[in-house]
Amino acid sequence: MKLSSMRPIALVLSRELVITALLLTGVSFVVFVILYFSPGDPFSVLLEGQMPTEEARAGVREAMGAAKAWYVQYLSWLVNMLQGNFGTSIRTGLPVAGELIRTGLSTLMLTIGSMLVTLMLAVPIALYSAVRGTNRVSWTLTMFAYVVSALPVFWLGYIVIYFFTHKLGLFPMAFGFSGVERGFGWLYFLLPVFVLGVGNGTISEVIRFLREEMSRVMAEDYIRTARAKGASVWKHSFKEGLLIPVTEIIASKIPFILGGAVIVEEVFSWPGMGRMALQAAKDRDFPVIMGIAILAAVFVRMGSLFQSVVYVMVNPRASKE
Amino acid sequence: MKNYTQISGEIGDLSGLPFWKKADAVDIAYVSYGLLIVTLVVVSYILGAFNLLPRDPQDIDLELMMAPPGTVGHLLGTDYMGRDMLSRLIVGIQAYFLPGFLAIAIALTFGTVLGVLAGYRGGRFETAITYFTNLVDSFPRLVLILLVIAAFKPDIYYIMIVVGLTNVPVVASLIKGKIQFLKQKNFIEADMALGLPTRTIILKHILWHNCRSLLIIQATLGMGEAILMETSLSYLGFGVQEPTPSWGNMVQVGANYFMQGKFWPSTAPALAILFTILGFHLLGDGLNNILEGKRNR
Repeated sequence: MKLSSMRPIALVLSRELVITALLLTGVSFVVFVILYFSPGDPFSVLLEGQMPTEEARAGVREAMGAAKAWYVQYLSWLVNMLQGNFGTSIRTGLPVAGELIRTGLSTLMLTIGSMLVTLMLAVPIALYSAVRGTNRVSWTLTMFAYVVSALPVFWLGYIVIYFFTHKLGLFPMAFGFSGVERGFGWLYFLLPVFVLGVGNGTISEVIRFLREEMSRVMAEDYIRTARAKGASVWKHSFKEGLLIPVTEIIASKIPFILGGAVIVEEVFSWPGMGRMALQAAKDRDFPVIMGIAILAAVFVRMGSLFQSVVYVMVNPRASKE
Repeated sequence: MKNYTQISGEIGDLSGLPFWKKADAVDIAYVSYGLLIVTLVVVSYILGAFNLLPRDPQDIDLELMMAPPGTVGHLLGTDYMGRDMLSRLIVGIQAYFLPGFLAIAIALTFGTVLGVLAGYRGGRFETAITYFTNLVDSFPRLVLILLVIAAFKPDIYYIMIVVGLTNVPVVASLIKGKIQFLKQKNFIEADMALGLPTRTIILKHILWHNCRSLLIIQATLGMGEAILMETSLSYLGFGVQEPTPSWGNMVQVGANYFMQGKFWPSTAPALAILFTILGFHLLGDGLNNILEGKRNR
């Protein structure tokens, strides 16, 4: 790529990075505020059994850096986090950062895979109804998308597990990665990806958005011109009609898919950060869930960063806005 | 990003005819189904609240475990302890109905206030609201709820406060867009020229006459959202606990028997969730198409 074409991208990237930094600070502050106002800090949960007197507990708290003014606490927490120190899990005593990287990666795989599944379903349906208009087929497909969007994803998970383990007998009954080595292990990996991709509840919205954008572009003058001179309509409409809408909707649906991942990971015993968040919420394991909330926000912001880069690559003028 | 739920057109476009005559048959079907579901939910809620049930939902009958639907005395069969499924489904509505209203009230109230500030005043308010929207959008909702659960307690009302607050930006941006659109219209200018107090312009001429349907639609979609969250969380083991029924924990308990081929105990509540959420979605979208004149043809 020429240097001149890189400039708008760099411009937008730097602007978006500033926004991202601001937003992540906001996110960390929200997390901090929630925990600050929570009744009974994690220390009391932990210490009540171990330390009989109030003084002994206060001493431990002091030692762990908890007895300062709120802004000192917040800033020291933030600085620690920037250095990659997310604290240690109250339950396991392990550093949170390492666990986060491990589970975060596996959730990222699940999330990206499911987004692809969603798109593989949504894009053809959207294109079909945008090009052909409303007819019986597109109406049926739209209805199907509505029903799928309302489907409780946990139940869909059970159906799929039952079908593959009992009807097809592909997997051992014991779930988890122990059975992965046998023959169809890769398929076991695909099941949660498929379930989350279908059942994350956004599919009808994705279809509607893509269809509306595509129909809008198809009505533009330049498409009519392309059609009139016999040029490829697809080639002319692809960027504005499909590429930009797809990145836009994906970036805005990442939070929903990550939320759905919590449930799907629980159903399939997927060792990701959703299950970790669930366990942490049950144990009131604050450091873990704080780290997860922030990492999730990082994922969401990365999606939106990606979206703006694609947008500027297609339309370099946008960097001047 | 662009707001893809932005409203275009206005109610006045319906030139003379009452809106139900102008409406698309598909939208009428959506809304009718939605209204049917809403009626069923409301009636069931009232029945449950006054304990007017076909059976006692806690009544254990070990002779009749996991009976199929259509069994004499149990229209929708029984669960793993022989408890009447229909009664438990009806009582399960208690778990989300009132909490759902709390979420809706929070989203609509704060969303309207912020939207009016951003749309009518603009400037700094608009920047602040854009930031707030992006901030809320940066959290996966379920993760935020788990955080609140860990920090406070797994109380459904706390959960619904979070659901409501995370819906505030959507309502705010819709109201903002609507007001920015209305401000170009002559009648607002006329109001100002007549010297009407700002309060009257905003409350009566903008909100009541022009944003009413938008708020109803958002309330409908918000209820769907609240049901989804409540059932997901009670499935995960937060919120309503056994033996009190909620659709989520019914699916979860029933799922233990799923691998034995006993589908019904978890499928019945799952279908209840499916049909209800579908109803609220279709009602919201159908109303949106009819009242806000939004259907691209």
